[in-house]
Amino acid sequence: MSNAPHILVIDDEPQILRAMRTILTEKQFKVTTANRGEEGLTLAAANEPDLIILDLGLPDMDGVEVCTRLREWTQTPIIILSVRDSERDKVAALDQGADDYLTKPFGIEELLARVRVALRHSARTGSTQSKLVKAGALTIDLAWHVVKRAEEEVKLTGTEYKLLAYLAANHGRVLTHQSILTNVWGAADADHTEYLRVYMRQLRKKLEADPERPQHILTEPGIGYRFIADE
Amino acid sequence: MQTSSLFSSLWKYLLSFVLIASITAILFIWRDGLDTTLIALLYLIPLGTITAQFGLGPGITSAVITFFTFNYFFIEPYSTFTVHRPVDVVILVVFLIVAVVISQLVGRAQAGLSAATAREHEATQLYELSTSLAGLPNDHAIAQILAKQVHAVAQGEYVELNITGTRSFVYQLPGITHPTRLPELTVPIEAARGVLGEIRLWRSEPPISSRERRLFQTFASQSALALERAWLAQAEARAKVLEESDKLKTAILSSVSHELRTPLSTIKAAASSLRSKEVSWDSPARVDLVAAIDDEADHLNMLVGNLLDMSRIESGALKPKREWNILPEIVGSVLARMKRLAVEHRLEVEVPESLPLVPVDYVQMEQVFTNLVSNSLKYAPADTVVCIRAWQEADCIHVQVSNQGPQVPTEDLERIFDKFYRITDAERVTGTGLGLSICKGIIEAHSGRIWAENVSDGLAFNFTLPLTRDGASPPQLPVDMETE
Repeated sequence: MSNAPHILVIDDEPQILRAMRTILTEKQFKVTTANRGEEGLTLAAANEPDLIILDLGLPDMDGVEVCTRLREWTQTPIIILSVRDSERDKVAALDQGADDYLTKPFGIEELLARVRVALRHSARTGSTQSKLVKAGALTIDLAWHVVKRAEEEVKLTGTEYKLLAYLAANHGRVLTHQSILTNVWGAADADHTEYLRVYMRQLRKKLEADPERPQHILTEPGIGYRFIADE
Repeated sequence: MQTSSLFSSLWKYLLSFVLIASITAILFIWRDGLDTTLIALLYLIPLGTITAQFGLGPGITSAVITFFTFNYFFIEPYSTFTVHRPVDVVILVVFLIVAVVISQLVGRAQAGLSAATAREHEATQLYELSTSLAGLPNDHAIAQILAKQVHAVAQGEYVELNITGTRSFVYQLPGITHPTRLPELTVPIEAARGVLGEIRLWRSEPPISSRERRLFQTFASQSALALERAWLAQAEARAKVLEESDKLKTAILSSVSHELRTPLSTIKAAASSLRSKEVSWDSPARVDLVAAIDDEADHLNMLVGNLLDMSRIESGALKPKREWNILPEIVGSVLARMKRLAVEHRLEVEVPESLPLVPVDYVQMEQVFTNLVSNSLKYAPADTVVCIRAWQEADCIHVQVSNQGPQVPTEDLERIFDKFYRITDAERVTGTGLGLSICKGIIEAHSGRIWAENVSDGLAFNFTLPLTRDGASPPQLPVDMETE
């Protein structure tokens, strides 16, 4: 069990900590908990966990600040927890380097899926990234810039491809409007969410079986988008 | 002002002298035929007239002048001021006394009369002020009337009112910049509770008389009464609103606790039976119980979300993050999520792709559609159509969600957007009774309008969304130059 991934949970609610500890231990993770931001920062430095789950509403300091301070020295993936209606805080934390988010109350499948994606991405960081992303009938070859749907090549414009490639390379993770706009269009266009709306719609029409009920290019309301690929 | 009043008093003296001179001339012609005493009597006529017409000053002056002209022209020896006959001395002295006494009497009566007129004038002005102040409901209106009256009565250059009540403000006439010098008159507006404000009057000429000062003090105390009355009325109205909202809060609490308890009971029952040994691990009932807990937890979460939204709408904290969005996308995502709930109904969508981008908050607009559609699903009978249509009007997008459910009495069409308003019995349909009022809150925060109407086969919800954001029209997208 020594190589079991180590998860640090920072939350001030004892019931949540209890539930997380039970569930994650059951799933063979090593779990440490902290109920204050300062304590969490100390434990993160001392234990070097593989993943941090951080609640945004901490009593002693702002969760976004905890995020910022962690990112000063570590690239350990961070999943933030927050209540509904705090899109602004979520986006702020994500733009400060958090990897993903979960809205309370959340289901256990959701939690485990986010944990898996975050651990996979951190394992890949720096090493060779998979150049071929498969998502249902779609195949995206990031090396050869080829997109196929059911073995048939899909014609994409330059911008459409750039957008899809960015989504696919980060599949499973939530990407904020700002990060997509900055990466695909450039920092000058970071406010033009309407570009995203329009291009995402075009992409869905070309790639999704039912553009109104997308299976791969998902909207995260108020936050951004998430690309779902095969595991 | 001063030059003209000086001029008018000079004019009075001049006229008096002209009158004395002409009488003297007339008497002089018939001097030989007239007795000295008769002349003295005749002289009293213009003297009385002058005092009555021009006041005490010209009267006394004319009396003295007449004394000399009488002596000079009509008492022998003529053309000298000397008097020979002792009887003439008596006549002269009597004449002087009578002339001065008459002048004083007439003058005093005249002054009394003009004082009475002035008092009457003051009383009229005061009456006008108090009638216009009567029943004024707010302090701004009172200040406006008071300033206008002071300005009209004083004929001043500038009037400023500083009201320092619970909400202090300044009212000025005319314009908003007062003269740089200090005001000539400052009158505090005082009431039993203390100073409520101040009247400041700028008028350099003529100087403010003590009579005017007194008048403005009376004005001030009248306004103080009116202000106190208005503030008391406002306080009472506020108290009434608080009382109403207290009643509403009680209604909310009872409705909410009922709504919250229903899913909680289900969860509690399911969880406790899972814990007990009643339900074996491989029983099919276990799956149902777990599903019930999951569903009811979601339901509870939705209820709490609605309550939070409502409180944010009420406190004005609901600030839409308006961005250019594609309406068909929002509608599509809402319907994809609601598919599970809409199995008994047919959903029709007529939201054309050609609509321009709309400046809306994506999350809030999703909620509007969710609430309107779920309301339709809740009330319309099974196997009917729920239709979502959208089209562009001059400067807005018009959206309609219609169903074939029961119609709403015309007088209730507006009230269905009120909190906790239900047409049907609360027991029959679940929900917090907040869905439609949240829609109204969100649409109004987007500067749109929402209303319901009865249509031929059911009920339709309509709302409009303006197509401009901060005055900007829907953006044109940059053309994707690099193809394939």
